[in-house]
Amino acid sequence: MRPLEPEFLRRGRGQPILLIHGVHPVNPAAIFVDLLAEHGAVIAPSHPGFGASPRPADFDTMYDLVHGYLDVLDAIDGDGVTVIGFGFGGWIAAELATLRPSKLKRLVLVDAVGIKISGREQRDIVHFFNTAPDELNRRAWHDPANRPRGIYGLGWQATISDEMTDAEMIIMARNWDSLCLYGWRPHMFNPQLAYWLRRIGVPTLVLWGASDRIVTPDYGRAYSRLIRGSTFAVIEAAGHHPELEQPHAFTDHVAEFLRANP
Amino acid sequence: MPMELWNHCENPYPFVAADVLDAAEAVRASLPNKYCDPEIAACLYDEVLAEYVHCDEIGLHIVTNEHHSGINNLWAASPVITGIVARLTRKVRILSLGTLITVRPDPVRIAEEYATIDVLSRGRLDIGFVKSGATEMVSGDANPMRIREREWEAIDLIEKALTSHDGPFSWEGKFFIHPHVNIWPRPYQQPRPEFWAATSDLPTCAELGRRSIVNTLLFGGYDRTKLAFDTYKKARADAGLPPPGEDRFSYMAFCYVGDTDAEAMRIGQKIPWFLTVSMKSAPQMAKFQPGNVAPEMAPAAWRAGFSKRPSDLSVESLIAQGQMFCGNPDTVVRQIREFRRRVGGVGRIIMMTRQGLVTHAEAMRSFSLAAKEVLPQLQTVSQ
Repeated sequence: MRPLEPEFLRRGRGQPILLIHGVHPVNPAAIFVDLLAEHGAVIAPSHPGFGASPRPADFDTMYDLVHGYLDVLDAIDGDGVTVIGFGFGGWIAAELATLRPSKLKRLVLVDAVGIKISGREQRDIVHFFNTAPDELNRRAWHDPANRPRGIYGLGWQATISDEMTDAEMIIMARNWDSLCLYGWRPHMFNPQLAYWLRRIGVPTLVLWGASDRIVTPDYGRAYSRLIRGSTFAVIEAAGHHPELEQPHAFTDHVAEFLRANP
Repeated sequence: MPMELWNHCENPYPFVAADVLDAAEAVRASLPNKYCDPEIAACLYDEVLAEYVHCDEIGLHIVTNEHHSGINNLWAASPVITGIVARLTRKVRILSLGTLITVRPDPVRIAEEYATIDVLSRGRLDIGFVKSGATEMVSGDANPMRIREREWEAIDLIEKALTSHDGPFSWEGKFFIHPHVNIWPRPYQQPRPEFWAATSDLPTCAELGRRSIVNTLLFGGYDRTKLAFDTYKKARADAGLPPPGEDRFSYMAFCYVGDTDAEAMRIGQKIPWFLTVSMKSAPQMAKFQPGNVAPEMAPAAWRAGFSKRPSDLSVESLIAQGQMFCGNPDTVVRQIREFRRRVGGVGRIIMMTRQGLVTHAEAMRSFSLAAKEVLPQLQTVSQ
């Protein structure tokens, strides 16, 4: 198989900060990208099958994504990469960190999915694909009105308007299809991952939107407890996408974490 | 081969109160089963199985299928129902169209169930394949992505399981892994029962053509059906294969045969319940379900509230679009002949008659007329 050639968003200079996106690739117009770029070189690939990134024919599992991101880490100049994973991308980041790649220096998980916490009759993660769009949109944001115009998160289907271009819709459909390919079953978690989180050996910040009702802050606290030495923090007035809903508070948390773990 | 008539009944459950259905986000997948009275369901099974016995006596072939978790269909497992029908009937062919091969985890078990039915019926089974999708992906927790590829691998494995007779073989495919395949019994028909597939997806139609699998269209109307059949024929021609007979083509339509046109139109009005009520679904299980349309088709689908359903659901309109055959026997013969002419030939007509609030007695009358008055006239259609 040829090496993956994903599309990348790059911004800023200095220590590398790798963003692993969630439902949609990182939007270049999102405020938090510029804010983070004040602290390092932001690198944000689109997963294979998302945005304009090609997806090889048999690339269709979390195993593929994790190994794809090992390739991405290898291709980044210099050591000491900070990885920030958002939602579904938080799952990828957590899997990646359990493998202890040598270039990984710090880890930030933002409203991450990926593990099973509760009993067999309690669902930890609202079903992305089987939940009504309006309900997803309500649960994903502290206030859906806070969503930056032209930028989308979970519940995006409820926000389709005539403003959205055909090209945007085609990308959204591609992202949604690919997310489903990787995450339908088991839905958004790896039953084995919770056990192996103990292998994560880098400073870790677990950040959560206080109003996230896709995966609640309690799930985040449990996630954090499984990662030795990790710090858990909530961002007020934010849901599943705190980097979009409260970009300044989000960046402040990350910047403080970078300073505290030089 | 003479033209055939088949009876397909979904065994619907049309007795849930309208206000409950109106309030539900979907009448499939999510509707609580407290609204299903098992006593009523038992009567429905009795009635529809009696209709199948009647069909056996009068020469209408039988189709079963399955859907899950909804008012549209009480056949939860096509192989179970098909096995019962195999035992209740003696003469006609029985088509399972089909069990959900993209939802069920092990095609080997499916092959074994079908082989069992084939033996039980002494070789009267036809095996039909459906790609499935939509609410079935939810109720079966099946990934809706790549179901076309999954369907073909399942078909390949089922075919190999049915036709291998020399001990265990191993299968390590993309979607299915089974290291020790060795079904008992082997099928009664050699080399295997006839395969059918229900689809209007053109690449799939082409592959059906190359494999000589019967292509059936469900309510496709004139244009979509002709396009599908033409695609099938062209794929065979391109592959250097002989032209297909009309028995390779099948069409399912709503159908009511009455003593008079007026009576048929009156009763026939109950049948589109299938479209107007039993398909109510939630957007996340329909237009926003991953894989529902190719990404480049998404803008049209999402903006227009895309639907494969006919826009006008009156009996008159459905007849005009070739999606319903309805009238007295002569009228229905004319409609079927016209349909056959406009799609370039079709040998197997599947009638969906017992649908919505059509009663047992009404269905029995239509079947009697179809067998006695319609079928003989269709035998004179040149093949």
